[in-house]
Amino acid sequence: MGHAERVWLLLIGLTLAGAWFAETGHAGWPLTLLVAGLIAVKGRMVIDHYMEMTRANAHIRHVLYAFATLVPLLVIFTHGWGDLLRRLTTLN
Amino acid sequence: MGNMSMPYAESIAVPEDHDFRSRGRVPGNNGIWVGIFCVLVEFLLLFIVYFVAKAHHPEAFESGPDKLVTLAGVTITMLLLTSGYCMVKAVESIRRDASVTAFRWIALAFLLGCGYPLVKYFEIRWNIAHGIDGETGIFYTVYYYLTLNHLVHVFWGLLGLGWVALRTSRGSYSSRDYSGLEAAAVYWHTTDVIWLVIFPFFYVLR
Repeated sequence: MGHAERVWLLLIGLTLAGAWFAETGHAGWPLTLLVAGLIAVKGRMVIDHYMEMTRANAHIRHVLYAFATLVPLLVIFTHGWGDLLRRLTTLN
Repeated sequence: MGNMSMPYAESIAVPEDHDFRSRGRVPGNNGIWVGIFCVLVEFLLLFIVYFVAKAHHPEAFESGPDKLVTLAGVTITMLLLTSGYCMVKAVESIRRDASVTAFRWIALAFLLGCGYPLVKYFEIRWNIAHGIDGETGIFYTVYYYLTLNHLVHVFWGLLGLGWVALRTSRGSYSSRDYSGLEAAAVYWHTTDVIWLVIFPFFYVLR
């Protein structure tokens, strides 16, 4: 089995794990952290191994890494500091 | 999994003329990256809409995923990841000048990718049959807004795959020049990365 096959299998496995949590998980920190982790790990796997970013132009790589890092952080922020986000985005 | 830390690119030979070591290699071409950055910014803004809506209506976002068909989301994820894998193999094949093999991988990637709109069609039909449309509630409004927007980008990706399949079948790419094929591949992988965010937002997270 080659490298691409191992990456694909791991991505499929993580997707099935996410599906299991979709059916059994309840709102709370464990599910939030798990989802943030899955987005970060799976995103980085596609970026590094499918898009071959580890050897790519540094500017491109940094933008993609920033995207795959920022979104999970926003997931955590929205869960932990939702009240603050609501206040910041209320017009009156 | 012993080789997992080794980047895919290091496992195969990349032609020297495509390896701009001083600045780092640009997969595909510069133009496709302008488009990809625009797509990333667009979806980052849409994700902020999701976060703001979730902060204002936490109850709607906690119960919303229960009414959606998780199997549809999982199937789309698997189709996209497997289609993306096929494009990895297509790029690997053209680097070996195996254009017939590359064409077969692209064709398979295209067919798997076409499964996405098909699944989405049945999912939306099921949703509407169960009274879930864009006006059912804020969660479903954001769900339709984001997923249909992503579907539009998948259509662009499928058009790209169809085009490079045609070009590959005509022998237009080789190990010396395959930037067009690789550009379509990186765009296709970008739709993967974005879906890997959308899937947990609407089917897993509460």
